[in-house]
Amino acid sequence: MWTRLLRPVRDEHGVPDSVLTLTAIILLLRPFDVWWAASFVLAAACLSLFSRAVRRAPVTWLLVAVFVAARIVAVWPLSDNHIYLLAYWCLAIGLALSSANPAGTLSVSSRWLLGGAFAMAVLWKAALSPDYVDGRFFRVTLLTDERFADASLVFGGLSREQMIQNRAFLEPLPQGAELLKPPPFVEPPRLRAFAAAATWGGLVLEGLIALTCLVPVRGRLDVARHGLLLAFCVTTYALAPVAGFGWLIATMGLAQCRPHQQSLHRAYLAVFILILLYSEVPWTGVLAEWAVR
Amino acid sequence: MTDDGAGPESRDRWRAVLPVSLLVVVACAQVTLVRTAGLTPWKGGGFGMFSTTDGGGRRYVRVFVIGVERSEEIAISPSLQDAAWRAALLPRDAELSRLARRVVERERRHRRPVDLVRIETWRIEYAPDSLAATTRLTREFVYRVDPTPAPGS
Repeated sequence: MWTRLLRPVRDEHGVPDSVLTLTAIILLLRPFDVWWAASFVLAAACLSLFSRAVRRAPVTWLLVAVFVAARIVAVWPLSDNHIYLLAYWCLAIGLALSSANPAGTLSVSSRWLLGGAFAMAVLWKAALSPDYVDGRFFRVTLLTDERFADASLVFGGLSREQMIQNRAFLEPLPQGAELLKPPPFVEPPRLRAFAAAATWGGLVLEGLIALTCLVPVRGRLDVARHGLLLAFCVTTYALAPVAGFGWLIATMGLAQCRPHQQSLHRAYLAVFILILLYSEVPWTGVLAEWAVR
Repeated sequence: MTDDGAGPESRDRWRAVLPVSLLVVVACAQVTLVRTAGLTPWKGGGFGMFSTTDGGGRRYVRVFVIGVERSEEIAISPSLQDAAWRAALLPRDAELSRLARRVVERERRHRRPVDLVRIETWRIEYAPDSLAATTRLTREFVYRVDPTPAPGS
């Protein structure tokens, strides 16, 4: 058992090296905050990039999963959800690499993990949250979250002055209080439509991904799942400031590709790089500046 | 994966099931904590991010210190920020007591009297149509200070 955990898995067992390499890159790109967890995880990620034996040894990923989980406990409840998914994913890699069919096990793990995560996201948005389906979440977020501000200017047709006025309007008052002259609130139809598209587009896309991940599908529907995952990454992470989640989804999608699906393999790699560019290039800011001129 | 898309062999099936089982258990615990302890849906591993305005940015705490000849609200200093942030996201007794203990330690460091710490947790809410914003008190917590100073203090 122990030697099996230490022994690197041979290439003919089919877990693509790119899946392990991209996971190591994700670990390097994410800040870990807790020094002792960061030290181990960063060292393991570096070593796994340079050493094939470290990269393909189950114990590497099992230990990384333990340290990521320990970090979640240490900073409870501050961790973002993709850190949880990262811990499950590293555990899945470690368990799969020590199985008789590593690629098959990892592919199924990946599908179920994504299915579980997206199903929960849909449950929250559609049923548990009181302010998502009525559009409030995106109407407020597009105006108050600085990370979405440029997108609101570009796609919502809002001017910078209107944005400032709206933020003043959305400043809270004590319960029951009312201003005699409240600041004006301007919500152009384009902004309302943008919020509605984000609300319902996100919900429908996430629902379809959950469905195609959790229901056993073959043939065209299997390809459709990849198409949905890629579409989600390309559209969502162009605006959503959580690249770590996007990289993880792209890597987990890649783990579901079969050896003959080389085009999909390349598409996931391209999407991983695209998300990196989204996170580093303020493209909505550039568009907003350009629109003002 | 093999070319025919075969999954794990039956004796290895648990290796594919274990990670998603953990995800489901943690997610169910998160929903329970949101419902019973006021955890923000954005945190806790339940994947409720981007589903509600009830996130960390719209929650805050107010801390009041009561002692001999003083009763005042104190600012959240950098040394209190981590505990205050955790208490705002999950306003349970454990997190609020932790914040209160940090406040007491800080006040004693500065040789200021403190008999009682009162913490209020607040959140910002938006009306369904008009989006008019209001603040709402979600929890009030009182921590009575043990008059016996800690050893070495």
